[in-house]
Amino acid sequence: MFKQLVHGSLLLSALGLQGGDTVKIALTGPFSGGSAPMGTSARDGAKLAIAEINAAGGIQVGAKKLKIEVIERDDEAKNERGALIAQELAAMSDLSGVIGTVNTGVCIAGDKHLQEKGITKIICPAAGSASMTQWSKAGVKDNSIFRFAAHDGIQAAMVVEEAINRKFTKVAVVFDSTNYGVSGRDDMLDQIKKQGNKLTVVAQEKFNIGDKDMTAQLLRAKSAGAEAILIWGIGPELAAISNGEAKIGMKAPLIGGWTLSMSNYIDNAGKNGNGTLMPQTFIEEPITPKAKAFIDGYHKTFKVGRIPSPVAAAQGYDAVYLMAAAVKQAGSTDTHKVKEALEDLKEPVKGVIATWNHPYAKWDPADVTTHEAFRREQTVMGMVKDGHVVFGNDADRERLRKSATTATPAKLNKAKAKTK
Amino acid sequence: MNAAIIGQMAISGALMGLVYALIAYGFQLTYATSKSINFGQGELVMLSAFFSLTLTNLGLTHWGLGLSYALMIPGGLLFGALMGLVVERAGVRLALEQKSEGWILLTIIIGLFFFSAAENIWGRDDRPFPTPISADPIHVLGVDVTRLELSVAVGVFAIMGLIELFKRRTLLGKAFEAVAADRDAAELMGISATRTVMLSYGLSGAVAALAGILVSPITTVGPTMASALILKAFSVAVVAGLDSGFGVVLVGMFLGVLESLASYYVGSGWREAPGLILLILALALRPTGVFGKATIRKV
Amino acid sequence: MRRLLFLRGAELLAFAVLGAIPLLVLNEYALGLLTLLSIYGILLIGLDVTVGYLGQVNLAQIAFLGLGGYAAGLVITRLGMGMGPALLAATALCLVLGGLLALPALRLEGPQFALATLSFAALSATALNELESLTGGAQGLSIAQPPIFGHILTKPQFYWLCLAFLALVWMLMRNLLASQWGRAFEALRDSPIATDAMGVGTYRHKVAAFALGSGLGGLAGGLYALNLGYLQPQSFGYEQMITLLLGVVLGGRKSLWGALVGASVIVLLPNLLSKHDLFLAFSGLGCAMALAAGLRGLVKKTTRPFQALAPVVAMGILVVGGFFVPNTEDWRKAIFALMLFSVVVGLPEGLMGFLTGFLAKLFRVPEAPLPEPSDLNSVLPTHPADGSPLLVLDHLKRYFGGVKAVDDLSMTVCSGSIHGLIGPNGSGKSTVVNVISGLYTPSGGRVLLHGQELPQGSLFRVARAGVARTFQNLQLFGELTALENVMVALKDVYRSPLPLVLLGLARPEERRAQADALALLELIGLKDQARAKAKDLTYGAQRFLEIARALARKPDLLILDEPAAGLAHPDVLQQIEIIKRVHQRGITIILIEHHMDVVSELCDAVTVLDGGKVIAEGTPDEVKRHPKVVEAYLGQPPETDSATPHTDGGAAPLPA
Repeated sequence: MFKQLVHGSLLLSALGLQGGDTVKIALTGPFSGGSAPMGTSARDGAKLAIAEINAAGGIQVGAKKLKIEVIERDDEAKNERGALIAQELAAMSDLSGVIGTVNTGVCIAGDKHLQEKGITKIICPAAGSASMTQWSKAGVKDNSIFRFAAHDGIQAAMVVEEAINRKFTKVAVVFDSTNYGVSGRDDMLDQIKKQGNKLTVVAQEKFNIGDKDMTAQLLRAKSAGAEAILIWGIGPELAAISNGEAKIGMKAPLIGGWTLSMSNYIDNAGKNGNGTLMPQTFIEEPITPKAKAFIDGYHKTFKVGRIPSPVAAAQGYDAVYLMAAAVKQAGSTDTHKVKEALEDLKEPVKGVIATWNHPYAKWDPADVTTHEAFRREQTVMGMVKDGHVVFGNDADRERLRKSATTATPAKLNKAKAKTK
Repeated sequence: MNAAIIGQMAISGALMGLVYALIAYGFQLTYATSKSINFGQGELVMLSAFFSLTLTNLGLTHWGLGLSYALMIPGGLLFGALMGLVVERAGVRLALEQKSEGWILLTIIIGLFFFSAAENIWGRDDRPFPTPISADPIHVLGVDVTRLELSVAVGVFAIMGLIELFKRRTLLGKAFEAVAADRDAAELMGISATRTVMLSYGLSGAVAALAGILVSPITTVGPTMASALILKAFSVAVVAGLDSGFGVVLVGMFLGVLESLASYYVGSGWREAPGLILLILALALRPTGVFGKATIRKV
Repeated sequence: MRRLLFLRGAELLAFAVLGAIPLLVLNEYALGLLTLLSIYGILLIGLDVTVGYLGQVNLAQIAFLGLGGYAAGLVITRLGMGMGPALLAATALCLVLGGLLALPALRLEGPQFALATLSFAALSATALNELESLTGGAQGLSIAQPPIFGHILTKPQFYWLCLAFLALVWMLMRNLLASQWGRAFEALRDSPIATDAMGVGTYRHKVAAFALGSGLGGLAGGLYALNLGYLQPQSFGYEQMITLLLGVVLGGRKSLWGALVGASVIVLLPNLLSKHDLFLAFSGLGCAMALAAGLRGLVKKTTRPFQALAPVVAMGILVVGGFFVPNTEDWRKAIFALMLFSVVVGLPEGLMGFLTGFLAKLFRVPEAPLPEPSDLNSVLPTHPADGSPLLVLDHLKRYFGGVKAVDDLSMTVCSGSIHGLIGPNGSGKSTVVNVISGLYTPSGGRVLLHGQELPQGSLFRVARAGVARTFQNLQLFGELTALENVMVALKDVYRSPLPLVLLGLARPEERRAQADALALLELIGLKDQARAKAKDLTYGAQRFLEIARALARKPDLLILDEPAAGLAHPDVLQQIEIIKRVHQRGITIILIEHHMDVVSELCDAVTVLDGGKVIAEGTPDEVKRHPKVVEAYLGQPPETDSATPHTDGGAAPLPA
């Protein structure tokens, strides 16, 4: 009784579980609010993976097979909630790991509580660079935070590349005022320079979350002669941009961050969204048997005809398999041992996005990519067409199919895959 | 300083401003009879918009878009009126009986409940609102307007006109005016003030529903759709004066234009600022509103 | 004394327990929650000043949380200073901004005030978001906790710091609210007009209260920033403000404990909701309580049917919903709304209000005894009454559009006299008095007191010039006791500067005020009801009380506006007696009355008005016979030979 008091678990133990019987994994993210489609997709993709693993008896931990137990926490995309949740999770004595978070602000406010205690976390699907660069900036020697998503550095490079390939010369850079939008803009401007300054930025326009009327920004871009719009934002506002363009008779296509694949962009933009391009790690097309199984499984389990955010769902799914592999290799549910295993996964992990081969390396504060799993090869351009996301370039379909079935090149401790 | 662009911004701003005016008009209706307003009016707009969406989608399974949309309108308005009555019964009547201002908090609370219910029933995403009115731009006087935006103007003026007609020409409407002028005297004349207040909240709810129906195709329907609108509507209502009648239309359009131009010239982030500054100034200089009537204190 | 010990003891115990928790429980999550609790406690105490004490819905407090946070953050990150300057800057900035906002906003009432504060909050959020170069905009501001004396606080130490601040704020506020400031706040909520008329500046107190509440919000903001380490403008929006508001209401307004309870609810509620069984238990309990309270209210007829039943329905929905809904977290806002609805309707005093009533019955701690009443001569010194002109109305005019309510009226009131002001309804009596006392600005002419022009159009300044009044429609401070009603108005008693008040060192002054007020209550015969709430007194007692309150002003001129209106005959007699006692002390009185027997008995001189003009002046007898007066009241031309007045030992039956 006193021991329980000491660990405060009286307050927290209404779950009524004895420690040691299960592998506890927490899934966090915004399950309500504007970012909810991404949050719920990631969570549901993860749950699909967990259900599969549990159906097969669980994870082999040492001599026993343990099932995964899920702890869900809704951070509502609010930093304060995120911080509290992180504190709560950090205080749990038997948590093996955390998967989740969509909003960069929540990562910045909350992850430090996990990192302090060495709790293993896989950030998924938050793509903003700041979520990981905060650790290299702080110069920490040991890091328990990993990311499993195509981070903005990769995405920005692809966006600029695509604009150049499609022979645009004058572009408008449009972004939302959040962390995500602003760092996206910074990444894009950086990439334009790196790729030879072939694009002229004729307008830089900002908008706020909740804005419905983008006429001002679009009129300025139009009068400056923008041929394409490079954009970084989230669903509903992006739709307002597309619809606004239609209203003023502007035809510049949108090329931007992966959030353009969200259902609330596609549905609200309607036909005005056709032709929008964005980097994707997963397209909802059954190009491999595993992809087909995943898509069908998701549709059936969660009773939808279309995954709200296929990228988030697929990433959540694969992240679980990575973590499960780490637990198995560690032979323990102890989060510190899981982290060590994750940094040095010896066996390849078959996921739906790719077969992951040593995706992470030992943390090096000078090189943030040691804790980033994705590289350029796993990402393709998607395009919105008639209410779905399809492959933007046919060549990519083949590339992704091949990439999904061959193992990723291993991430070694000092070798860095040059991301463009 | 392109004249065409200024014109463009001004027109679309003015049309948006009419929506603020419409919601502000709803405030006036209840303020007139009871000196109270529904602080959760935004949620009422949103709830009615969602309900109307469901109606339209339901209609679409049987009929075409035009018919569904036409049939939806009275249904949506009725729903709005009903919700207005709920607000009155649950949030306002008790406070009025006790002569307190508890309705401020209670209407906020009811709004919160509506918000949560809508989130769970219809989901947290923003959804498109199907409409037979085209969103393609037509070129009028050098400016791009959509028929959809013009329909907002039509709708606003139509319902305001109808209600004003009702107030002036029907017996029920006269009772409305009587309670607004002097509640006690009206009661002594046999007019039930309570029923009249109910009527005003019902009308206010219907007006909110119409605002939702008009604006949804442009801004999409979502749980948070009205939170931005409502503050502007408040500004318009207070700046014009809570008993100013058509003054809200002028102030609403003015605010819309101001916002639009500010977002173009100063920066989109500062879009809200003119309205807010205007509100604070108006409250400081003329608390009863630009078009309002000053009251004399009696001790 | 016992009561004091009991209350202080409870507070000390609570803080001791809160302080001891980190030593017993080594759970960082609990510590995080408690830290947030203390911060929110400070924030809600600040909010309660406006919402509870001033009774206004204040929607700006969240903005002060944000502004304070950013101020502290910028002092640390940009100026490289430590925690002390950061917190000081946060508090000071919000104190100033709050005052600046209050100046225009507090001229408004009710919904307009709420809207003004809402706009300020929205404007702040926009500014924080747009001024990227200063605040980092939407990307946010990261703040590393600076060391104190070279030492970075551990989490428990930071918690103790927050708790210490909470305790400090608690103590300061408690002292403030127990003083004249607290009374003034309550008074101006009950009747701003009377508050001004009693020389207690409504406006300045409101502005001070609002600024204070905002300053506390700023302090909370600074601590919040240090705690979270990261600020974004979007964290300080309308949704969060509603949560704060509802925390204050649920916990209980006008109560420091209430603020703490409210803070606990805000911080702990999400946890409560995520555990299904706990939630069901909790809602079931709530429903049972609502049922009990509702039935009791119905039976005792203290509540209306709606008030009794609505909370039961709301809590019932909660219970039923809890069974059907799989994930209560999704419905969090609805649950909050239902709980709040029940509390606002069924338990307007909030949880703490309900509990204190309950606890008070359980632990019958008697109130501290009142001191002996002071000597009346020191409270209400006698005025030399030499019959010289005290008040002169010089061609006074007041028009309302086309209506000439006061039309070129000149009148002189002599020192030490009781001067009656009578006339039919609508003759302008109340308007004259309202102009004199400063409720209305005259349209023309002057009012002179002691030969000096009285300030125009300001109840407050006229009161300060030595004029006190009562009101035709009672304007008592209903929620205050009879004693407190008088105490609020006392003149020249509250001399302690604010710092001493905050530190609780102004007790002697309070005792003196109580004694003085008791003397006045004794004068009017209400000494035994000193502790009764004004709204619970009989109508007659309330009328007497208004006079006592006006006397607390030590006025040179006392204006009584129909003091006997609606009184039963025994009370009329007592009222006459009271007025005589006041007269004996040489205080000049203007008396508006319709009871002609009162006028005849008391007045030395009478002025009769009709249609805003003087139609007769003289002694009561002269005036009664005056043909114009008779015509004004009865509407008939007088008979040709001088009419003999009725001499049946009383007043002519003029219509009242």
